[in-house]
Amino acid sequence: MNIVVCVKQVPDSWAEKKLNPSDSTLDRDSVDAVMNELDEYAVEEALVLQEAHGGEVTILTMGPEKAGETIRKALSMGADKGVHVVDAGLHGSDAVATSAVLAKALGTLEWDLVIFGIESTDARMSVVPAMVAERLGSPQLSFATKVDVADSTVTIQRQTEYGFDTVEAKTPAVVSVVEKINEPRYPSFKGIMAAKKKPVTTLTLADLGLGADEVGLAGSWSAVDEFAARPPRQAGSVVKDEGDGGVKIAEYLAGQKFI
Amino acid sequence: MDFRIPEELQALRASFAAFVDREVRPIDESMTEEYWSGTPDHGRLHDAAEQVRRRAAQEGFYACYLPEDVGGWGVSTLGTALLVEDAARCGVRLAMMAVAPPNPSGPSTLLLQLPEHLQDVYLRPVVRGEASMCFALTEPEAGSDAQAIRTRARRDGDSWVIDGHKHYITNGDKADFAVVFAVTDPEKRAAGGITAFVVPRDQFRAGKTQWTLADTHPSELFLDGARVPADHVIGEVGLGFFAAMSFLNAGRAYIGAQCLGLAEFALDAAVAHARSRTAFGRPLSRNQGVAFPLAESKVEIEAMRWLTYHLAWAVDEGENPMLDASIVKYYDTERAYAVADRCLQVFGGMGLLREGPVERVLRHLRMLRIVEGASEVQQLVISRAMGL
Repeated sequence: MNIVVCVKQVPDSWAEKKLNPSDSTLDRDSVDAVMNELDEYAVEEALVLQEAHGGEVTILTMGPEKAGETIRKALSMGADKGVHVVDAGLHGSDAVATSAVLAKALGTLEWDLVIFGIESTDARMSVVPAMVAERLGSPQLSFATKVDVADSTVTIQRQTEYGFDTVEAKTPAVVSVVEKINEPRYPSFKGIMAAKKKPVTTLTLADLGLGADEVGLAGSWSAVDEFAARPPRQAGSVVKDEGDGGVKIAEYLAGQKFI
Repeated sequence: MDFRIPEELQALRASFAAFVDREVRPIDESMTEEYWSGTPDHGRLHDAAEQVRRRAAQEGFYACYLPEDVGGWGVSTLGTALLVEDAARCGVRLAMMAVAPPNPSGPSTLLLQLPEHLQDVYLRPVVRGEASMCFALTEPEAGSDAQAIRTRARRDGDSWVIDGHKHYITNGDKADFAVVFAVTDPEKRAAGGITAFVVPRDQFRAGKTQWTLADTHPSELFLDGARVPADHVIGEVGLGFFAAMSFLNAGRAYIGAQCLGLAEFALDAAVAHARSRTAFGRPLSRNQGVAFPLAESKVEIEAMRWLTYHLAWAVDEGENPMLDASIVKYYDTERAYAVADRCLQVFGGMGLLREGPVERVLRHLRMLRIVEGASEVQQLVISRAMGL
């Protein structure tokens, strides 16, 4: 069974992020870049499925040259090879444009499953897996807390407020996994050294047959009109409990329309 | 010259940082009460340290510097030094148990000189974090003057019989075996008359526990007719000091790296405090009396960094940088202590509390100025190398 895991390089979750005033895109130079933490679960799940079913695990990313570090990390965890879509024209792509690029790149690969993390920790939209599945015409199994594959059927469990949904589909299919699904492995030194020799293919927009107007800022359906820094946090109000604390809390919540 | 840290070592550091954050930090945070207590539960602290050591061994970080055939990763001295530095810098106390060096309870490269069948018995279980060892050289009458040891080993048929008294032995009370230095030829002593032996737990007795200002608790060891088979000699008979020398340079790089990491941690904490703490209507950092000592600390930290990385590099290049090793041991321990002392001063009264971040660093560094070759011994080595 061949699996492709889509990963994204994002600013370190703990870093203070800034936007470039010129085009309202993320200022990548001012922060450390890491693999989207939620994608680590997707890589781990792919490796676990590979250990059980065989096949190859390919890592797919799009982004600037530096994003290749994220592929290398996934390879050091144990994936077999990487595909990196890198092109200046990608700059500023929103979720719709991103899904167009990933779907095209997936079209050049052979796979039974595509696995995503549920969202990226920078944009936090959670929509790319669904958009990619739609473009590919594949079933989408989202928010999986468990993935099982038997023959050509993939079954997932999805936690709901009341229990679990069990959802199944025929492969090829697109799956997104949540962080509860596993504990991602730490790259070992052996894995790190082996990753240096694993193949990574780079693709351009021309290789994928995509025009400059279909991706990047020009091809995006959404745009940032303006942005402002978050205002400094205001001091909270302190309610002194003089026997009427409960009433005061209820009044406060009612005032905020919480109750 | 290329001073960049190789990509694979940066990746290894990132992997180790993820391990520390995900697994060690929560255990460390659960120990806060013990750290801050005047009467901590030492059993709890020991169990937590063991838990970290085992997990780090399962993942491979613990004995990463040993060759793959004994269960290590074959990471260079530089790579290992970087992990030791990061473990000390991150402020998670138990992280310092996740990489074996410079803890003497971890698997010593000395044991690679044992015959293969004994590596299975002694070395590999320590690599796996299932057993631990101790290094027994110091005696009541032989500290810096190590060749003055009185512990004697006599050959008796196919065995050696060892008698003597060791003290200040880290992990002596818990170790599954000891590496014991004993005189085998009183005439020759350091020049071919001192031998290193592996002595299993049932052949020695741990005496009084000796509590130190650095929260360590070495103990006395008694060897009363300890008997070990002839193949339990490390290296060659009479050449115990030469065997020990083979790992001394790397060991000093690791101590230097720990000093470096602790100094960086103290400085990070002091800078953050100086920027956020207000006194007399402005941040502490706006006072030159606060900012300049921190600037000086930064300069000394960079000097420590490059002395240490250079020493580790030289070891990896197959050189025998004994002078550099003494310079690192001397400079890093002394300067890191000075840095921590300045940083503690920035915290004022809070700096004195066990709850403050720097006081335990200061105590640990005070210890490192003495153990594993006191500063004055290093100055002696350095001055002799200068022809003095």
